[in-house]
Amino acid sequence: MDAYLIPAVDGVAYGLLLFVVAAGLTLAFGVGDVLNLAHGTLFAFGAYAAAKISDGSWGSLALAVLVGTAAAGLGGALLSLLLTPLAGRGHLAQALLTFGVALVAGDRLTAMFGKDELALTVPKSLDRPVDLAGHSYPGYRLALIIVAALIAAALFVVVSRSRAGHFVRATVDDREMVAMLGVSPFTVRTSVLAGAGALAGLAGALGAPIIGAGPRTADLVLMLSLVVVVLGGMGSIAGALVAAIAVGEIQTIGVANPDLSTIAPFVLFGAMALALAARARGLLPSGRSA
Amino acid sequence: MFLPRRLVSIALATGLVLAGAGCAKDDDKSGSAGAASTLKIGFLGSLSGTYQAVGTDLKNGFELYLKMHDGKLGGHPIDLKIGDEGDGAQTAVPAATKLVKEEGVIAMTGIVGGGSVAAVAPLLAQAKIPLIGSNGRPELKDLNGVWTTSFMSSDPGQSIAQYIKDKVNGPVFAIGPDYQGGYDEVGGFTTEFAKIGGQLANPGGKTLWTPFPQTTNFLPFFSQIKSSGAKAVYTFYAGKAAIDFVKQYKQSDIKDLPLYGAFLTEGSVLQAEGDAAKDVFTTCNYSPDLDNEENRKFVAAWRQQFPDATPTTYAVASYDAAAVLDRAIAAAGSNVTAETINEQVAKLGQISSPRGQWQFGKNHAPVQKWYLRQVRADGRALANTLVQDLATVGQ
Repeated sequence: MDAYLIPAVDGVAYGLLLFVVAAGLTLAFGVGDVLNLAHGTLFAFGAYAAAKISDGSWGSLALAVLVGTAAAGLGGALLSLLLTPLAGRGHLAQALLTFGVALVAGDRLTAMFGKDELALTVPKSLDRPVDLAGHSYPGYRLALIIVAALIAAALFVVVSRSRAGHFVRATVDDREMVAMLGVSPFTVRTSVLAGAGALAGLAGALGAPIIGAGPRTADLVLMLSLVVVVLGGMGSIAGALVAAIAVGEIQTIGVANPDLSTIAPFVLFGAMALALAARARGLLPSGRSA
Repeated sequence: MFLPRRLVSIALATGLVLAGAGCAKDDDKSGSAGAASTLKIGFLGSLSGTYQAVGTDLKNGFELYLKMHDGKLGGHPIDLKIGDEGDGAQTAVPAATKLVKEEGVIAMTGIVGGGSVAAVAPLLAQAKIPLIGSNGRPELKDLNGVWTTSFMSSDPGQSIAQYIKDKVNGPVFAIGPDYQGGYDEVGGFTTEFAKIGGQLANPGGKTLWTPFPQTTNFLPFFSQIKSSGAKAVYTFYAGKAAIDFVKQYKQSDIKDLPLYGAFLTEGSVLQAEGDAAKDVFTTCNYSPDLDNEENRKFVAAWRQQFPDATPTTYAVASYDAAAVLDRAIAAAGSNVTAETINEQVAKLGQISSPRGQWQFGKNHAPVQKWYLRQVRADGRALANTLVQDLATVGQ
């Protein structure tokens, strides 16, 4: 069992990181009713910001987080603007538009930052191993677990306690009723997409040393967070947390065990296929419109 | 409206190609006539894309040789025509076609990727132009006219197997990236290691392949190595994967296991790895601190030209490609053609190089000595430092 301690802890780090990204995706879907296939690209904004700005000092990391979060938040708001003419056209039109935006933005990112995976530098004082019950574990990842857990807790508090959170939950339950209360659907969608983008950018800036910053980052993150969102039940934050940790563990324990490593990828997508088959109507509710 | 314009451009393009072909013929004639006529040599390398660093090293190595020899090879002034190989065969073939058909080069050098070599070789064979390649070298059916100054992918692993068997007291774990280059590099080690009675720590004796290029988190693999009871690790990674591997290795549970590898710390990745690379052992056919006359001259000239970069094995292989062409063209005497250059390369024998003496083997790749290096602090910077000689490998 001791052999799996480090992969298990690493799975939590990976899972919490995925949760921060996927929470944005699930909020955008549940509240904004937007299927945002450019979500991985917004993560890449943060990842590239970290690769280019973070140079080993705390200040540079803070700046990278700020720039990445702001850029991805703006990106989310911009997507909301682009989606305005598609109101009432359903999820397929949204998916096509956001996917197109993801392709164009991905191409621009590659043109700006090159085809290479970029190297990441983490703050010097975290760039060393720490002792974890007799095992060595990278200090940065331990710090990431703490920070990501704090972000997750803050997210829960905001959604369940604040006034904005009340609107968010009300919108998930009954979009029309919230509109009747005098809250513009456009405002709701734009602020949720901007917030979701900011979460993706934040996760990108913090998680790039683990997930990477390169041309494949956006697709990888989009795919994993789609799995998380589907497994967690569309629109459910708590469900996303459980699913994200599960996906993280499959990605680490699954790889650490030689017998499991061949089937780990299938477990991931097999579970998603099962969830979709069981709740197919839940994913794309055709009768509903924005 | 559009049709006539397109016709005009087609006519223009055809005219240009014909004119280019005409030039090439003229050059061939002049090349064989006068002793000091200018020769066109084609250089193909990745000057953009993933392998830009390697391609640039190849170009710098070749140009440095030219600069140190007054821009001449075998007494002829050289007009070096440069093509960008890009990321692989898809971009390499058009670039090579341009060098052959439009520039009319008499010989070709460079080429980073094995896939590019495989794709360009038939084109060169058809035009009977010899390739003095300086990096990539796949298995080829027809070796006629194809020479490689670097090494075969399985050579590094083979060269260090005996040393690891003697030094490591226990089983060794083999891990590498899941693609052809990885199979060749790590396979070179495991094959030789098994032959001399070494024992792998891998379950079932099977090398662990990590998905390439998407693996950025190596920690779960390191947990596997830890529980295998290995006493050392052998691996091959390059580029970003090498940086991730080495950095995470030194913060993981197996940080105290000796790490042996090929290319793990070669070139620009070393500075990115930083202190995590300290003590890592690599096998290489070159080390900048080798003590021989040719290397002293080479390193001095390199440092003057590129004060911020350490010379790499890539640069040396390309420098040697220029040296091979230099001697072959000189030996061809008054009749320098693509064919005579190829004939003379076959007769060269020992070549003096910054890496020591080597010669072409039966497979048109070097029979050469390999060296064990360890990353140590050299002043303020980290450097691959020569430890000792390893085996001589080649066929």
